[in-house]
Amino acid sequence: MSHTLHRRGTSESLKNDYVIFAMSAKGINEVDSKVKLKRFLEIVSSFNPVNLGDMRTGNSFIRSKEVIVNSTQDTSIVHGVFDNRETLIKAMQAIKEADLGISVIVSGLLDDVDSCCKEAGLNRHTCETSLGIWGKTERLPDEDVLRFSTMCGHGQVPFNLVIKMIEDIKAGRRTAREAAEELSKPCQCGVFNPVRAEEMLEEILCLWGVTVA
Amino acid sequence: MKVDETKCVGCGRCRTYCTMGAIAFMRERHGKVCAEVDQHECVDCGVCYRAEVCPVEALYEPKPEWPRSVRGTFSNPLIEHKETRVPGRGTEEMKTNDITGRFKFGEAGMAIEMGRPSTGARFRDIEKVAMAIAALGGIAFERQNPITGLMIDKATGKMNPELMDEKVLSGIIEMTVPLERVPEIIAVVKKVTKEISTVCSFDLTCKVRSDNKTLAFDLAREAGVVPTPNGKTNVGLGRPFFLEEVQK
Repeated sequence: MSHTLHRRGTSESLKNDYVIFAMSAKGINEVDSKVKLKRFLEIVSSFNPVNLGDMRTGNSFIRSKEVIVNSTQDTSIVHGVFDNRETLIKAMQAIKEADLGISVIVSGLLDDVDSCCKEAGLNRHTCETSLGIWGKTERLPDEDVLRFSTMCGHGQVPFNLVIKMIEDIKAGRRTAREAAEELSKPCQCGVFNPVRAEEMLEEILCLWGVTVA
Repeated sequence: MKVDETKCVGCGRCRTYCTMGAIAFMRERHGKVCAEVDQHECVDCGVCYRAEVCPVEALYEPKPEWPRSVRGTFSNPLIEHKETRVPGRGTEEMKTNDITGRFKFGEAGMAIEMGRPSTGARFRDIEKVAMAIAALGGIAFERQNPITGLMIDKATGKMNPELMDEKVLSGIIEMTVPLERVPEIIAVVKKVTKEISTVCSFDLTCKVRSDNKTLAFDLAREAGVVPTPNGKTNVGLGRPFFLEEVQK
């Protein structure tokens, strides 16, 4: 369940896209871990993430932060998304100081996250990378669309919804920000980055025949 | 997912929330336009339902019977797998490696996420890839993984035949192998994925050595596959429940 792996985009597009999340290990440190997972969310929340979520409860575009933080369970996987490395490092330092004892994972550009770990006084333990998409790739939509939909690793952001949002902006029915927020909603875990989505929408609009005044 | 035809007003709002593009609109005998969900393509992910865009609450989720029931468990992240008690499709894999010690130095975690991104996979394709990997010999699929749980022969990767036509948003074939086997797994996946009708995303995991190297990634490069610059990092804050081995 590599739900934050396989995000598509250039290094430039991915450089301010960080997901930090935590979980307990089933059958090992799971019992009563909800207290630690809640504390993790409280810390992350205090640094004003651009999205926050727990797969069981939902993300910050469909639930309030208070509900997300207060609904943690022992089997929760809790997430926060940051759009800049300085805030990520501060959050990592605060989580380290809290000494929760649960696993913490950061998604982002691997070399950059390595550097962030060092600045936060941490050492990488295990890394996971993507070897790309294989098979019948002709069935996939444009890379433009994939960059949005792959921000939800559970595939809950439909390709057609991305296209609809682009068309809505084109028709003046939504702003790029509103479209980015709508795209954030189906990603239950809250790992979708609405700031990156808004930036990408603004960047690609000209390619879809949209003129922004 | 199904549509109550007596309620549907044919507004079309649900169509763009379908991950499989399986919702179409038909004109009925009496001229009424109504949504229709292609049950063969629908993976029961529940996205259209949870989006709450239907103004008349015409979408509903009937409780599926086996084998259709696997669609929801592999496609709707809110449904927890009995095997793993982890919602989603895979296992804890590297996420809790600092606590479990599942991946050791000298090993690589490899996973083929069939149907990802957002294309979906039928079990006949999942079986094809699993059996090709198993044919290499000495492969142990991850026991906690729900796809492994549906294999009737874990040594060959043979899936339960009742599932062949079932479609899921994605399913993960997962294993841990000695580092030296990374190139041959890559080679077999490269070959077999030319024969499938969908896509898959390929994951590679390894522990970070004290010299900050990730050997499995280097092996992938040597095998001609360039790992993406982004990925996941377990930052080692979990309290180990195992004796961390000495790096050789």
